[in-house]
Order: sequence, then C-alpha cells, then structure tokens
Amino acid sequence: MIVVEETALGGTEAALRARVEAMMATPAPDEATFDSLALDIFAFQFEHDPAYRRFARQRGRNPRAVRSWREIPTVPISAFKDLDIGCTPPDRAARVFMTSGTTRAGRRGQVHHRSLDLYDRSMRLGFEHFFMRGAAPMAMAVLFPDEASLPNSSLAHYLALALRHFGTPGSRTMMGPAGIDRPALVAALRGAEASGEPFALLGASYAFVGLLDALDAEGQRFALPLGSRILDTGGFKGQSREVPPEVFYARLSKTFGVPAALCVNMYGMTELSSQFYDDGNAGLPPVKRGMPWLRSRVVDPLTGRDVPPGTPGVLAHHDLAHLGVVSAILTEDVGVMREDGFLLLGRVGGTEAKGCSLAVEEFLAAARTPAGA
Amino acid sequence: MGGYLPSSPPDHGWRTERFAGGGDPLEVALPAFDAAGMAALAGQIRDEARAVLGAMPVDAIAAAIDAAAERMLDRAHPLRRKAEALLPIVTGYDAESVRLGLTATFRNFRLPQLRRFLAADFPDPGMLDGFRPMPRGGLARAWGPALLLHVWAGNVPGLPVWGLARGLLVKAGTIGKVSAAEPLLAGWFAGLLAEVEPRLAGCLGILCWQGGADPAEDAAFEAADTVVAYGGNATLAAIRNRLPATTRFVGHGHKVSFALVSREALTAGRAAAAAGLAARDIARFEQQGCFAPQMIFAERGGAVDPAAFARHLAAALAAAEARHPRRALSLAEAAALAGWRDGEEARAMVEPGRSVMFGPDLGWCVSYADAAEPLRPAALNRSVTVVALDALEEAAALVAPFRDLLQGAGVAAPPRRLHALAEALGAVGVTRIAALGAMTVPEAGWHNDGRFNLLDLVTMTEIEPAAEAQAELYAPHAD
Repeated sequence: MIVVEETALGGTEAALRARVEAMMATPAPDEATFDSLALDIFAFQFEHDPAYRRFARQRGRNPRAVRSWREIPTVPISAFKDLDIGCTPPDRAARVFMTSGTTRAGRRGQVHHRSLDLYDRSMRLGFEHFFMRGAAPMAMAVLFPDEASLPNSSLAHYLALALRHFGTPGSRTMMGPAGIDRPALVAALRGAEASGEPFALLGASYAFVGLLDALDAEGQRFALPLGSRILDTGGFKGQSREVPPEVFYARLSKTFGVPAALCVNMYGMTELSSQFYDDGNAGLPPVKRGMPWLRSRVVDPLTGRDVPPGTPGVLAHHDLAHLGVVSAILTEDVGVMREDGFLLLGRVGGTEAKGCSLAVEEFLAAARTPAGA
Repeated sequence: MGGYLPSSPPDHGWRTERFAGGGDPLEVALPAFDAAGMAALAGQIRDEARAVLGAMPVDAIAAAIDAAAERMLDRAHPLRRKAEALLPIVTGYDAESVRLGLTATFRNFRLPQLRRFLAADFPDPGMLDGFRPMPRGGLARAWGPALLLHVWAGNVPGLPVWGLARGLLVKAGTIGKVSAAEPLLAGWFAGLLAEVEPRLAGCLGILCWQGGADPAEDAAFEAADTVVAYGGNATLAAIRNRLPATTRFVGHGHKVSFALVSREALTAGRAAAAAGLAARDIARFEQQGCFAPQMIFAERGGAVDPAAFARHLAAALAAAEARHPRRALSLAEAAALAGWRDGEEARAMVEPGRSVMFGPDLGWCVSYADAAEPLRPAALNRSVTVVALDALEEAAALVAPFRDLLQGAGVAAPPRRLHALAEALGAVGVTRIAALGAMTVPEAGWHNDGRFNLLDLVTMTEIEPAAEAQAELYAPHAD
C-alpha cells in the first residue's frame, strides 16, 4: 500500500517537474501555461501535504473549487515555524533550509527539499538573466559564509551556485567566522583593477555596510573594470545599522567604481526556490521582477484578495519551482504592484494600539524583562 | 480648527493633521509653538491658574465641569453634534460606538460623579480650598501642581476629558498635548469649559507637537511641575528621562485585561447573554483601550462547556459586526491581526483541543484552547482567546507572571466567588474588577492603574498640632 502511494507520488511529481522544466526552457511562456501548471501543482501539493490540505480547507479552498492561480491559498511564512509544511517528510529530505528567528518552542522555520534540482535550475536561470545579463563567467568574491559552515542557509547555497556556475577559478567566499578577510578581498579587487577583467562582488547587504565603513576608514577606493557588478541581498535585519537605499548604493558605487545600474539587489527567501531581482539601483525605488515561473500578488491580509492596483498590501508569491514544498507563500513584506513587477516597500511594521491596550510585540518585549526590572 | 488657547496667547503657528477615515477628508489645524512661545504660554497659564483657580472653591470648579458635561450629553447641542459627526472620521470608529462612548464618558462628569471622584481620594475635599482639621490633630491643605502637562496618546475618545477634569479639580493650570490620532475632543471640551465658566478660560491650553523631537516639548517639560503621560513603556521611559529630577511623573503604560466566566454563568439560560456581554467589551473601541479583554477564561462544569461558550461568543461577535462594523484597519494592523489568526490556526493543526473561528474578511476572530495556558494578548481589533479552565481559581496563577502589565478583569461569578477571585487577582496585580459587559466603561472615581487620580497630583501642607499649640503662646489673648 505504502509502495503504491510512493509510486503514485513519484510519478505525479516527476511529470510536474518535467512540465516546470519545460516551462523554464521556453523563452516566453504564456499566461495559460503558468495558470494550468499552477493549478495542477496545487492539486498535487493539496494531496500530498496534509498540513497544507487542512490549511486550505480551513480557508474553504480545494483544487476543484479553484479556477486561477490567484485563488490558490497562500501559506503564511510564519507557518513554517509551527508546522512541517511541504510534500517531503522531514526524514526524506535531501536538504533542509532554515529560516532566521525562532518560535515559542525554540524551533526555527524549516523548509524540507527532497531534491534541489529545480531550486538549482531556477537559481541559475534567474541569476544568468538578471545579474550576468549575457556576461561570461567572471572573478567573484562572496561576502557571506560558505555552505560548509552554514549547511542550512539557502543563501549560502545560492551563493555557492553563483560561484560554481558563474565564477572563474579562484572565485571564493571571503567571509569566515572572524568576518570578512579584508586583506584578501582588497588584493582580489586590486588584482581585478590590474587585469582589466570584470569582477563581481556578492553578499549580504549588512556585510557591505561594515565593509564600506572599514574601507572608508582606510581611505581605500577602487575603480573596478567595465562590466563589474555587485549583488546585495537580505537587507540589514539588525545585523548592521539601517542605511537608506540611496545612500547605500551611492556609497557602493563610489567605493568600488561600479555604476548603480550594475548594483543589483536580490530579494529572496528561504521559503521559496526562486528569487527576484531589480534592474540595478540607478533609479529608486527599483522594480523587482522574477522569472516567468515566479509570480506575485499584492493582497489585503484580511481578505487574502488582491488590492486595487497602486495600493500597498502584503506580498504573496507563487513559485512553480517550489513544487516539492508549497508554491503559494504569503510574506510579511509590503509591496505595490507595478506593470512590470512590484516595488518592495519593506517589512510589515509592528503595531501599537491606538489606545492603551498592550499589543503582542510589546507584551513579548515586556515579558522578556523580569518583573520589576 | 482644533486645540484651545487662552485669549491673547503668545505668537504661534499652526500644525495640520489630515484624516480620511470614513469618507470625507478632514483637516485639523492645531496651535504650534516654538520653545520661547511655549515657555511664555506655560508661564501665562501657570499665573492665571494660581490667581483664578486658587480662589475658586473646588465645588465651583466641579460645577463648571458638570455644566460643560451636561451640554456634551445633550444630543442637540452643536458641539455634541459636531463630535458625533467628526470623531468617526478622525478615529475610524463607527458612528454608533462614538455616540455611545460620548454618552458613557460624559455621564461620569456630572456633579454627583465628580464629588464621588473627589471623595474617592480626599476624606474632606475642602482641603483643596484651605486648611482642614486632621483626625489626629493639626490641619492639612492639598495643593495641585501650578502647571500640569498631559501627554495623551491614542484615539479612545474621552481619555483627555478624564485628564482635564483631574487637573482642574486639583486647581492645576493645564497644558494638554493631544494625540494626532484624536486631536479634537480635548480642545472642544476646553472651549466649552471656558464658555460655561469664563474664569477658567485662561487656565487651559490644548495643543500638539511632534513628540520626542520638538524644542517646544523641552520647554514644556521644563515648565511643568507634574507630567501625566500615556504610552508604551519605551515612550514613557523616554519622557521620564528628559524631565528635570524634581518634576513629578505619572506614567500610564500599556496594559492588558482579561475576563473570567464562571460555570454559574454558563447555564443554558445564561451563557448566550454572558457571551453577548463579553462581545460588547471586545467590540466597543476595538480593544484599543487597556480595559478591554484580550483573553477570556471560561470554566468547565456548567451546562454550556467552554467550547460552546466560545461558539456563543463567535456568534455574538458576528452579530456585533453586523450592527457596528469594525473601523478600517491600517495595513500594519490588518497584517498583525491576520498574522495572529494564522499563528493560532497553525497551532490548532498540531495541538489537539485548539480551534479558530473567524468572520468573513476577518471582522472578528476567536481562538479556543481546551487546556489552561498563561495570559497572552490577542491581536486587538476584535480578536480574543477563550481558554477552558477546570476552575477559575487557576486563573490568578496564569496571569501572575505579567503583574506589571495587568489592568482589569471582568468577572461573571456569584458573589462569594467574586470576592474570593478579587482577592486572588488583586494579589497578583489586577487593579480593577469589572462587570462583564462594562469593562470599557469604568465608573466615576475609578482608580486608573490602581493609583489615586487626584492624590497622585497633589502635595500636602500640614500644620502640626504642636505648631498650633505653640502659636497660642504668642496670641494677643495669651496670659
């Protein structure tokens, strides 16, 4: 009985995987392709993920009642912290990515991948299209710990893929437990200047803040060769001070000699298998876009329905490459829909009551402080 | 035009707040001062209050507040009509909630209620007018601060009215900083007071500035003898740290309330009514006030079990939603509410005995837990957790860890149990035991945060018996 189920599951998943791969190979897949694949994937995930099935039923949705990808129930990312979401039982996972932040039970959100084939393929196509833009592999330095030191970080895996597929030999991570290896990085940057070959600097946004401060203090400036580029991701998340985007990109541009148009911000999350990018940060705020198998909506959190165009709402993403987990995700990010993508406006802020009632966040903060302190 | 100033105030500008809630946009202009202007205004109000209020008997001041409150209770009075028309736009509360809230608030400011308010703190309120004999001998007189500064927060109409009454009854010159979320009622009420009792006209100023940044705020903090502030602990700490060491500070922090429903209230005949009362406490003012319950402990053993009570409550909240729709929420509020619901649902999937009910478009949300759990807030805006307990006596231990955050408890229980529960809840820091259904309308003389509303503001001058006795030695009639 169990064997039969597994065969059925494998068969369906393999067929869907083949269709996603075919879509990835199509230059401009049409709306109908996305929609029908999204609905079939929803049916698959509904059948094989008990938590998602219960969740969808609670929202009154099931595959027979859903007519468009926009009606597929989205899973709030907070649910990954409480539940085993996804079609892969934890003991069958080839790889587990974990979110930052813990829950009541001290557990981090977990995303179980049976295989990273689709993740890797989606990453390579998106990175090539939005960041490499036709350029040949180039020398790269990564400002983030490597995969060996952070095996549960989806970003470490993403950056490892970038090095493996788009970096020339010698490209590597220049951040270890002690932080950025600045002498090595400076040497690599000076080497690039001397070689005249384009260079790519990739890393966490917060790591760039510290680096810029240190380089400024040393009076170091670079004029990286034409075609050099920078990718930052993840925002500052309390790891460094907040820097307004216009200041951040102006400083990157000035320090490394890379035009803001080639300073690309990647917006990704552990709970997805594909990423969004902007077209450089010359004009702010930049529009974020993804590959055709990744679509977004801006919704009213109370109703889950799309807000009118131009109105801010909460971003929901639908990633067909996230086939083995769950494709429809509700984020905690605020966005506004644009014709060619969306503007990312930041995190949904915490709320204080308009009166004197205690709100949850303040309660948690107060509860962490011993009474009377 | 909002706020209130005495006639011929120092030079000042205006600060405009815009509101769009509920349709027609509304602009409110409030007086705004620079540091020198604020200092001058503070001095002007302080001097006027000392001269005028100092000479007015407290009962005459109470009579003026009563006369103003009577007008606000008159639904035909132009100001009452203005309040009913504009406060829903500014606060987003629906018109009916505002109407009921105004009446409930101003009922507390009539003369008998004000006298009760005074009697709650002073054995002889005449000690605000002059020296009065003390039972142990000697005499005592109470002095209010010459200048009292209120820093109001939030949008629950009525909070500033309590503050104005508190200050006037202890004869303090008053400057009130209104919240941008409800900048109107305080100024109107001050204007009305000046109209019914012109002697009060120069003793009040109602204005607004950007908290935390404005040099005018430093000037106001410097000038005030006492500061009464509302807000989160971070806001209160920031204010307290900026006050001169000798300035008295009374902070009202954000708090949480809860309710207890006994098995005696969960009979077949009573359970639905109890749920209706709880729904009223939850829906009125959308739990923005700290007296509204965020968790309800329901006791097993009645004919209606706690899970069924939770369903009754859901039905009552659905009915309330139909009669009084919730005000429009900001994106952050909406996301917080939806996020709370999602979290409760996720827990319900893995923990047996939990369930979540919510209305269309999340107009209300009830989370039910079949086993005892410690107090935790819901997400406001008509969200609540119902927790089943074998005995209500367990509740005190479940709220005790949050002693510094507790406000009130609504209790529906028979008399003997009410008293026993009050004893246990009071011991862990609860300061108000209210009737279910009346949690959002505290009674006149209520000791907010368990403190003395008026006594906290005054200082006493005492004439010791020995001083009196010694004075006799120097009397012309002395032997």
